[in-house]
Amino acid sequence: MVIIMDTIGISLALLSCATAAIAMGFATGKALDAVARQPESSGKINSILLLGLALTESAAIYGFVIALILIFTR
Amino acid sequence: MFNIIFLCISIPLILGGVLWRRKIDSTIHADTPVPTPVKRLRLISVSVAVLGGYIFVTRLLSIIFGPRESEELGFSLWQERIDVFGYSLSYTVIYTWLAMAILIILALILRFTVFKIPKDEPSGVQNAVELIVEAVGNYTQAQTHGAGEMLASYILTIASLMITSAFLELFRIRPPMSDITMTFALALITFILINIYGIRKKGVVGRIKSLASPTPLVFPFRVISDMAIPVSMACRLFGNMLGGLIVMDLLYTALGTGAVGIPSVAGLYFNAFHPIIQAFIFVTLTLTFINEATE
Repeated sequence: MVIIMDTIGISLALLSCATAAIAMGFATGKALDAVARQPESSGKINSILLLGLALTESAAIYGFVIALILIFTR
Repeated sequence: MFNIIFLCISIPLILGGVLWRRKIDSTIHADTPVPTPVKRLRLISVSVAVLGGYIFVTRLLSIIFGPRESEELGFSLWQERIDVFGYSLSYTVIYTWLAMAILIILALILRFTVFKIPKDEPSGVQNAVELIVEAVGNYTQAQTHGAGEMLASYILTIASLMITSAFLELFRIRPPMSDITMTFALALITFILINIYGIRKKGVVGRIKSLASPTPLVFPFRVISDMAIPVSMACRLFGNMLGGLIVMDLLYTALGTGAVGIPSVAGLYFNAFHPIIQAFIFVTLTLTFINEATE
């Protein structure tokens, strides 16, 4: 029973990875739109996109770290 | 027993693939373009030969060294500790010293060979080093709008340390960046730098005022979100590096003796590309936060 509850908790923590991946896909798509519309400003868009992706990815990483802690500190 | 059967199957596969490829090559002429079905046949013949070679090598390894018993993913969040001259040190420290030694020796070699007589028209290694230094300097200036050249040298130092320590993983060493104490130390350096640059630009009163900028009501929240910067940066770097490490470990564990060739393709992403991107993101976030504090 405890193992099942642990597994459910770990899976829920890892759900943040999936949602963050969806969000990163949206952000990349928008950036692609912007570059297609204005190719001359691609450098600036690129740096902003990377920063935004890093900040979005941190949500996934928090979930991942919490899942690791749940796995390794039982 | 299974190994010998597979070994016997693999040898005709290799020979058949190679001979098939030679037969296809003999039918086409050098000056006419190759038609698509022949290209496909060539691809298939090469894949057959590669498959045979893969089975041959893995089975041969399994016969020589014995079958690898399926092991647990032996893994812990914390590095092991070792006693060095009466001090209890973690392996992270020792591997960081190793990375630092590699970088220092490389720098000394470059200093006494290439840069002993710097040429006016750079070529070869000098060209590459100048390109890197110039790119980092320009990037720092563009991100922080002129916060001095001190920051550029720090940025290049930390990026090269991170990338070198990540490449240590290729030698079956757990990289130092996958230890949360190491990443937290780096993030604390960033935090201290943010405050030093903010105070140097605006003074202590100005820094506090800028934290309470729209209304004094937001002051505690701004302080808390500033305090969260080192935690979030440390967790991000740690999670990313450890994630790549775990994926590679899982791959090695799952493949067993079949871990020939496949991990090198996966390692191109997880051991080479991923750490470089993470170092770039760490550097970019450091510069962005410093820029936020100084403007």
